[in-house]
Amino acid sequence: MKTKRFLGLRRDWGPEEAEAWTKEDWVAIIVSPLAYALLMIGLALFIFLRLDGLIIFLLGIIATIFLHFIIDPKLKAISSEYEKKQREYLNRLELVVRWREDE
Amino acid sequence: MMIRFNFLDWVWLGLYLTLMTGCGLLFYRLGKRSEADFFLAGRGLPWWIPGISVYATHTATDTPMWVSGVIYKYGLRGLWYSFFSAWCAVAAFVSARIFRRSLAYSQAEWQSLRYGGLGGELLRGWMSGWGTFLNMFILGWVSMAMGKLCNYLFGWDNWVGLVIPSIIVAIYVLSAGYWGVVMADFQQGIIAFFIIVFASLWGVKAAGGPAGIITKLNTLGESWRLNPFHFSGFFGGDFPLAWFLTMIFIAVLGGFGMGTSIDWYAEAQRIQSSRTVRDAAYSIWWGTALTLTRNSFWAAAIIAFFVLYPHITDAQQYEMAWYRIAFEQIPAGLAGFLFAGIIAIHFSTISTHLNLGAVYLTRDIYHHYINPEASERRLVMAGRVATAILLLGSFIYGLMMEEITRWLIFALWIMGAGMWLPNILQVIWWRFNSWGYLSAWIANLGFSWLVVWILPAFGVIPELPDYLQFWALMVLTALVYIPVTLLTPPENKFHLAKYYAMTRPIGWWKPIKQEALRLGLIKEGGGR
Repeated sequence: MKTKRFLGLRRDWGPEEAEAWTKEDWVAIIVSPLAYALLMIGLALFIFLRLDGLIIFLLGIIATIFLHFIIDPKLKAISSEYEKKQREYLNRLELVVRWREDE
Repeated sequence: MMIRFNFLDWVWLGLYLTLMTGCGLLFYRLGKRSEADFFLAGRGLPWWIPGISVYATHTATDTPMWVSGVIYKYGLRGLWYSFFSAWCAVAAFVSARIFRRSLAYSQAEWQSLRYGGLGGELLRGWMSGWGTFLNMFILGWVSMAMGKLCNYLFGWDNWVGLVIPSIIVAIYVLSAGYWGVVMADFQQGIIAFFIIVFASLWGVKAAGGPAGIITKLNTLGESWRLNPFHFSGFFGGDFPLAWFLTMIFIAVLGGFGMGTSIDWYAEAQRIQSSRTVRDAAYSIWWGTALTLTRNSFWAAAIIAFFVLYPHITDAQQYEMAWYRIAFEQIPAGLAGFLFAGIIAIHFSTISTHLNLGAVYLTRDIYHHYINPEASERRLVMAGRVATAILLLGSFIYGLMMEEITRWLIFALWIMGAGMWLPNILQVIWWRFNSWGYLSAWIANLGFSWLVVWILPAFGVIPELPDYLQFWALMVLTALVYIPVTLLTPPENKFHLAKYYAMTRPIGWWKPIKQEALRLGLIKEGGGR
């Protein structure tokens, strides 16, 4: 089955495949701080009505949209898979807190 | 500066206090259902509720003072000081994901999932004690800032602003727990954001508008203040590039770890209260995005203040820049509205730390060590008692704050610098064990005293700038915990395999992945 891709980055995930750390995660890790910096600096300059501020701010918005576009399908897949196991893990946590982990 | 409220101002304030405490109290029935409700709102929140709570919590009464200080001194370059919070940029997609999957209530509980045996328990005990102390300290610090602000604005004694607002907050934190905190934070965050935007833009307009401010900066020969990349050299001057690169390095790579920022612990509660891994990621990403853009509005207003009052040299004076321009320029009848916004940012911080400190006392100390078989009802009651202890402790800390602040800021610094890398290693490297992590805490304490105080005092080394202290402490501490880790046995593989199956950590975990596969805890390809 063919997977949906954008610029070589995958956009549809089966729940099990999404568990692994892949290049889509690394793209998010790199783009995310860049988006923060562009939004913060761009907005501060744009309040003074500077054109460079507007451009930087718009680049920040584009980076934010791109980031979510790439990572959201994977996060959705991870979340749906993990929710199935959460009850079992919570039970383990309660055993740890009650000093019965290995019973 | 003294503010005189008119009738409309009091109406704003009264309406706001009613809305906020009422909102918190509405959730009384949900908060008392269980320990998970009292501390994590049942782990069922959509991302935008804890997201606004992240923003609201990190907007405290003293935050505009701190931002005013760095922007007035450094211009827009000062924004980079606030960029430390960008650790969330990476944490949202790495450590938040791992921590949310662990389901631990607190960072202390996570220690006993990541590390096993005696070492894990020692770390859990230490982290819960440290967490309780830290929250009490932050409560005292922020409450004292409110006391000083009320003294500045109204001439009230410091203790009034220290005690009264915290007691009002405690009403809804005691009754509804984290449900009350997060729901009050939601409306407090929205109100505070709009008031900050409005008051800041109004200040810019009052200082001559964008064009007028730029002209005045040029006339004063201070146009560099609008350049966020105006470095003073690589190592020298007041804003060296070496500091900037160190800050980016600490902030961004810190997102791979847990506890690399003091804000991690409050974020951990928001991450865990989110209903899914995706909601957890977005809650801290968007909460921090709001925090950083809020700083942009503050920065613009403080630059506006600078052109109105350009030659203040006393830090205590210019640290009030944002408050001054906001209160001095806001239209008549809106001072109460502005003060309501300040109350909002104060309440959100106080409520968070009251509830967060109570997590450690209840979940990690009472539930884990004292009464493991406690009923849900009893645990909620313990949560309320713990909240009351935090509240009383914060008053004592607040009143002592003048004397102890210098010592405690030092304590916070030393807890950060040498622990930065171990906090990352414990997430990304399976071989890093509890003895390595414990030895890092101890070594960091000793080396910090030496590098920051003792050796410079005796002239053995010069007094280093803070970014060089960071590098020195990172290297020196590693010389202790790396050998300790490698010379002591690794954690139990079965324990680690269970942790791996649960959290799927990033980094060097291959032997543990193989063990989890062998035990059938996971399937090849990721799933179970």
